[in-house]
Parts: sequence; structure tokens; C-alpha cells
Amino acid sequence: MVRPAPLATLVAALLVAVPAGATPLRVVGSTTVNPLVSLAAEALRAERGLEIVVDTQGGSSGGIAALGEGRADLAMSSRPLTPEDSRRFPGVRFEPQRVALDGVAVVVAKDVWEGGVRALSREQLRGIYEGRIRNWKDLGGPDRRIVFFNKEPGRGTWEVFAHWLYGDPKTAPIASHPEVGANEEARQKVATTPGAISQLSFAWADAERVFALGLSLDDGTVVPADLTTITNGTYPLKRDLLLISNGPPAGSARELIDYLRGPRGRPIIERLGYLPLPAGKGEGSR
Amino acid sequence: MARRPIDATQWTAFGLGGLAGAFFVGLVGLFVWQSLPVFRHEGLGYLTGTVWSFRHQRFGALPMIYGTLAVSGLALTLAAPVGLGAAIFTSEYLSPRWRLPVKGAIELLAGVPSVVYGLLGAVVLREVMVDVLAPFEPLSGDTLATAGVLLAVMILPTAVSLADDALSGVPKDLKRAARGLGLSHAQTIRAATLPIALPGIAAALVLALGRALGETIAIFLVIGRQDGQWPERLLSLAPLTGAGQTLTTKLGGAETHIAYRDPLHWAAIAGLVVILLALSVGISVLGSMLAKRGPR
Amino acid sequence: MRRRLLDGVFSGWAAACAALGLALVVGVVGLVLVRAAPAVSLELVLAPSQGAGAEGGLRYQLLGTLVLAAMALAVCTPLATALALLQTTFLPPGAARALGVALACWNGLPSVALGIFGFALFTQELGWGKSWLAGGVVLGMLITPTAAGALAARIQAIPARLIESARGLGLTRSQVAWAVQLRLGARGLVAGLLLGLARAVGETAPILFTAAVFSGATLPRGIVESPILALPYHIFVLAQDLPSPEARERLWAAALLLLGVVACFAAIALRLRLGDREEGQHAG
Repeated sequence: MVRPAPLATLVAALLVAVPAGATPLRVVGSTTVNPLVSLAAEALRAERGLEIVVDTQGGSSGGIAALGEGRADLAMSSRPLTPEDSRRFPGVRFEPQRVALDGVAVVVAKDVWEGGVRALSREQLRGIYEGRIRNWKDLGGPDRRIVFFNKEPGRGTWEVFAHWLYGDPKTAPIASHPEVGANEEARQKVATTPGAISQLSFAWADAERVFALGLSLDDGTVVPADLTTITNGTYPLKRDLLLISNGPPAGSARELIDYLRGPRGRPIIERLGYLPLPAGKGEGSR
Repeated sequence: MARRPIDATQWTAFGLGGLAGAFFVGLVGLFVWQSLPVFRHEGLGYLTGTVWSFRHQRFGALPMIYGTLAVSGLALTLAAPVGLGAAIFTSEYLSPRWRLPVKGAIELLAGVPSVVYGLLGAVVLREVMVDVLAPFEPLSGDTLATAGVLLAVMILPTAVSLADDALSGVPKDLKRAARGLGLSHAQTIRAATLPIALPGIAAALVLALGRALGETIAIFLVIGRQDGQWPERLLSLAPLTGAGQTLTTKLGGAETHIAYRDPLHWAAIAGLVVILLALSVGISVLGSMLAKRGPR
Repeated sequence: MRRRLLDGVFSGWAAACAALGLALVVGVVGLVLVRAAPAVSLELVLAPSQGAGAEGGLRYQLLGTLVLAAMALAVCTPLATALALLQTTFLPPGAARALGVALACWNGLPSVALGIFGFALFTQELGWGKSWLAGGVVLGMLITPTAAGALAARIQAIPARLIESARGLGLTRSQVAWAVQLRLGARGLVAGLLLGLARAVGETAPILFTAAVFSGATLPRGIVESPILALPYHIFVLAQDLPSPEARERLWAAALLLLGVVACFAAIALRLRLGDREEGQHAG
């Protein structure tokens, strides 16, 4: 019967004894940017004792919402800011900082890739997204139904994809597809479902379980998805990976951004499969 | 009888009880209040509409209500016969020495956290269901049926445990009388025990259904999370072999994290909570009423 | 003859159902054990996470889970005691029945609804951000009906003559409550609390919105903006966002660790309940 008392004492002790030092840096958002930030945060904690807390609920839009609502100090985003964001959070001065580059790949399952589908055009992708094209055989592939796992509309990866297909993500039509959230969930589902296709951060396309399609541009040229084409810009689905702050970043936020952009960040970025910022463009917020 | 003065203990008890009551009044009130904008925007179409797209400010919850009911209904359909059978076995056929361990072992299933079920579902059950549903040619293992099967396993221990309690509560002299009349063991169960235990068994199944209704995390990774899935013909079972969405999986998803500053979007989310609460309370009240009519 | 055949089929069906139930238990627990086995080690429990969850241990996830359990216990105990006393002793019969129905409704509430309420109330309106205290309060509210029901059931099993004798001696209702109901009902309360905690430590939805983050948090400090790590949330996020295929085994090991924590609470509760059963058989 004495059990509740010691536990209550423990709780009280925790409240009082652990000194309320500087509040930790709160970073929320994209699952694409998360690995970079998490690894950098661990290094900074080990070396400089910085407290950085990272979470990924809601993806890029979730991070921006958290920042706008004051629940986060930095938003991780794999899509650019839009006027919609400023409209929703009028008092907030969003200041994006690029930390790396990434591509958005359209990935397919092994049976689709080996069945001959190696590239798709904008028109074909629109057809798949809107449900008009339902079988891979209409696209030169095997006779199998297309299983399109749509990234949740709040995700940065989705926004970049929709932007290329429709210009403005807001004009993307209503489409009903099974949804996936995090990058790994998308990869898992595509890898284990014959006939599957989804949007995925290029760094996650491992060419073993899922395969990144090339894109067939409007003028007919087919651009494969690889580090070269993403770097030189011929692959159209390219995006900045951003850390966004409310007002100019300071303190731990500044340290984290500088770490990722500096020489210590480069090996992390490359190891994870992303592209470091081009040399000389490290400074500045755009 | 003279009125005694209320003392400190009673004060505290009533005070704490009132606090708990206030918490729930606040909970329901907050969600109802916050959901008003979407009812203004969509009217009853919120409950009957089948399109949900926050980018286009369209909010129709019907496919999610359908998903919730379909998945829970399937879970109960699978768990009820097995649960009842197992309860009959533990309460009627096992000696007292074995009843507790076997019943306890099955109840272990109830202790497994939903996230572990979710993990098992995502990694194991998904693949199995593609084969099981092969005649229906599902697109993938992410279907309402997969969620239903997973939930059936989750609610089985609830059904077994409560049904066993109901069956064990049947007075022994009634059973003895039936045997005395020449009925066999199985006949006694079917003719005497089951009918008397029926209200308690019904309560058990209703409460199991309630548990299935409120589950989020376990089915989050296997249900497909596809909006707009709704049977074209009312009694068609086809949507069960496709991906879908329930009230809980939508609530557990990303939209809840991005919607708060958008009054209409958040109202739509709060509205889903209101619908879910209404379903849950309805089921609980029903279960309560059935339980009262059982043998004490 | 036909009667015996039908009876055999009937009992066979019942036995098969029970066997299926047992097979499911073995299957579920066995699957987790088998897949977790390669990654189980003491380091897993004692070391902190590294590599964005891909490497290292689960030290702060485990501690965070225990912190939440402690807070849930602190919230639940007084509430459950109060509600059980109200239902069995202090309220007139009509109100007590109504309270019983209310407790049944409370018990059936979806945890995601409580979690989102905590999000709206604590995280947003009160401005606490992610707070271990908010998570603990929500979990405490989640499990209160379980503990209240267990205590109420235990109190109702107390022989009426004991209560009558105490009242006959001139004790007030409250004095009787402390001397008889709560003293004799204590084991029921503790068992109910432990069962509730066994459920609380495994819950994800309530803490997903209010208290848990994926990495970087250690021990809580203060109340506001004080997130924690937690095992169920860790598993939930990694199930969707595994950093590498090698980390999959560690994910199963985390699931096994969570099962272990749940099993600890449940086992102690079970021992208490078995002890009660023996008492009941002797007392009669």
C-alpha cells in the first residue's frame, strides 16, 4: 500500500532536482532532412553539449506548422516555402537556410523495372496520378495493375512532385490513393508490392529494392535519375533541403546550420546519399 | 435519518470526482466547440460526403465512418465465434486447475501493446493477406480486411475473458438440474448455460467491438490510409479487399499535426473526434446495459 | 450414438477455438522473440541511442517510459480511489449506477481522443509544447477507470457484516471507508493500478501528440517544453522510418523490451490477484 508514495517522491525529485537549464533546441519536420539533422545533433551533443531534440510528425508541413505555432525552433523542410505558409502564420518571419540538395525520385518495384519501364513522362505520370492509366502494360511494362502509393499531401516530397506535374500543388486534382508518410514507409511498401510506384527522396532509392525511373521531358529527352543529372540540373525534380527559423537563427540553431554547411557536415550529407551545397554558395539564406 | 456533516474524506472524494467529470465535460465540449466551423461549411454533408481533401477544403467523413464500422465489424465477426468457443472450453470443459492458466495465457494477447501489433501487421500480416485475398486480386496487403484480421486477434482475449466470466456466472444448480434430466454435457451448455449467459456474452462482444472501434496505432500501417473508399453498392464487400481509412487512422495521421491554425481544417479533425466519441459512448452504454441483465 | 457424435463435434470445436487462441499467443510472442533475438543485449537496455536510432541502446526511451508511468500513477491513484469510494460507499444507489455506466464509457474511450485533447489543451492552448507532464496526465486519465473498477470490485467483495459491525461501533462512513474498505481493498487497488500501468506503458497515441519526441531528449526538466523519449513512440516511428535494414533487428528488440516492461507490471498484478483468490477461498 506504500507503493504510490515512493513513486510520487521520484516524480517530485525529478521536477526539482534536474536543473532547468537552457531549453533544448526543438527541430521538427521532414523525414528527408531528419537523418542529416539527427546525426549532426548527436555530434554536437557529444562535442559541445548542445541539447537538440528532433521529431518528424507531420513531415515538412508539420515542421512548418510547429515552427509557426511556436512549438519548434527550426523546421526541417524538403519543399520551398509558399505564400500559403505566410498567410497561415502572419506573425512569423520565416527564414529558410539551405543545408543540402536532394532529388525527388519516382520509384518503382523490381518487377516493374525489370519489366521494361525505365522512364515516364509528365503526361503519363498525370495519367497515373489521376487514375486514368491503371495498368503497366499501357506504359510498355508488364501486365500488372499500377499500385500508386501517394505521399501524404503535407509531405515535401509530394509537393515537389505535384509542382512538376501541375505547376502549383494547389491545382493538383483530388486523387484517391493509398497513402504513405515517411520515406522509409514509402520505400518499404514499394519494395514489397509488385506493380508499385511512389514518390521518394532520391537518397532513399537504393536500386536494389526500389528503382528510380528516369523522366521523359517535354522535348522528348529522357533524363535518368542519378547524382550527375541532379547536380547539373537536367533532372527536373530537384529541391533544397531547408532548415527554417523564425527570424534569423541564433545560438544552437545557428551552430547546427553552420555545422551542416561546413566541412564537418559534408561527409554526413554524402554518406546519406544527398548532395552537398555547391561550393561558394554556402552563405546566404536563399 | 439525521443529516451527518460531510467530512474531509467525502469532500475530497466528491471533489476529485467532480474534477474528473469536469475533465470530460471539457473534453467533449472542446471538440464539439472546435468542430462547429466544419458543420457550418459542409452542413450535413460532413457526415454524408465521400470526398476528403484538405487542400481543396472538402471534408466528407462518410468513408471513414464506413471504414471504422467495416473494420470493427469484420474483427467481431472473426473473433466472436472463436472467442465464444474458447470461453466455452475454458469455463465448461477444463478442470479448475487448468482453467486459470489457459485463460490467463489467452489474456496475454490483451497485454501486447498496439504498436507491437502494428509492427507485426506491417511486416508479417501484410504479406500473408496478399496470399489470403488472392482470389480478390488486392492491389497490396494494405486493406481494410488486413486491419480487421489484426483487430480480431487484438479483441479475442477481451471476448474470451468476459464471455468466460459470463458462462462461469451461471448458477451451478441449474446445470446440475439439466444433467439430472438426462442431458449430456454439450446439451446442457447449449440448452441451459448459454441462454442464461447470453446477456453477459452479448456484453462481452459489444465491449470487444468497442475496443476495436477505438484502435489506431495497430492498424495505422496496414490499412492503406486511402480516403474516399466507399462501397458503390451498399452491401458489397469489395472495399474490404482494398485500402481504406478509419476515423482513428485519419486522426493518428499527419493532418492532425498540421491543422491546428487552420480553423476549418482543425474543425474537420475535431468533428472526426466527435463522431468517434459518439460511436464509442454508444457502444459502451449498450454494453453496460447488456451486462446488467446478466446473471450476478 | 448420434448424440455422442454431435457432442464430440461441439466439444471439439470449443477445444479448437481455445487451441487457436493459445496458438495466437505463442505466435505473437514467438515472432517478436525470434526476430529480436539477434539484437538482444545488455547494451541495448543501458546505452543511449546513436545514429538517429539505428545504433546504440534504448536507455532514455526506457527511462522516459518509466517517467510517464510514474506520472500516470500519481494522477490515477487519488482519482481511482475517490471514484471507487463514490461508487461503493458515498453515493446513493441510483447515482452509483450512473457512475458505473460513466466509468464504463470512460474505459471504452479511444486513446487517440484523449491524446488529441491533450494536444489541444496542454500543447497548444496552455502553451506547454511537448511535455512529459501532459503525457503523464493523459495516460493517468486513460487508466483511471481500470483501477477504479478493480478497487470497487474488491470493496464489493468485502463481507457486509464487517461494514455493519464497523458502523455499529459508531464510526462514520468515512472512518469506515478508511478502516475497512480501503484497508481491505488495497490489494485490489494496487492490482488495478498495475494492470492500468501495464496498459499505459504500451500506449502510443496519447503520447504521440503530447509528450514524445524521437531523439535528443534525455531526462525531463521543468514542465513546459520538456519532451521525453518513449519506447512505444520509438517503435512506432522506426516502423515507418527505419534508417537501415540492419536496424530492423534492433526495432524488434525494442518491441521485446516493451513487452518485457508490460509483462513486469502484469506479472506483479497477477500475483496479487492470485493472492486474493487464495484469501477468498480461505475466508469464505
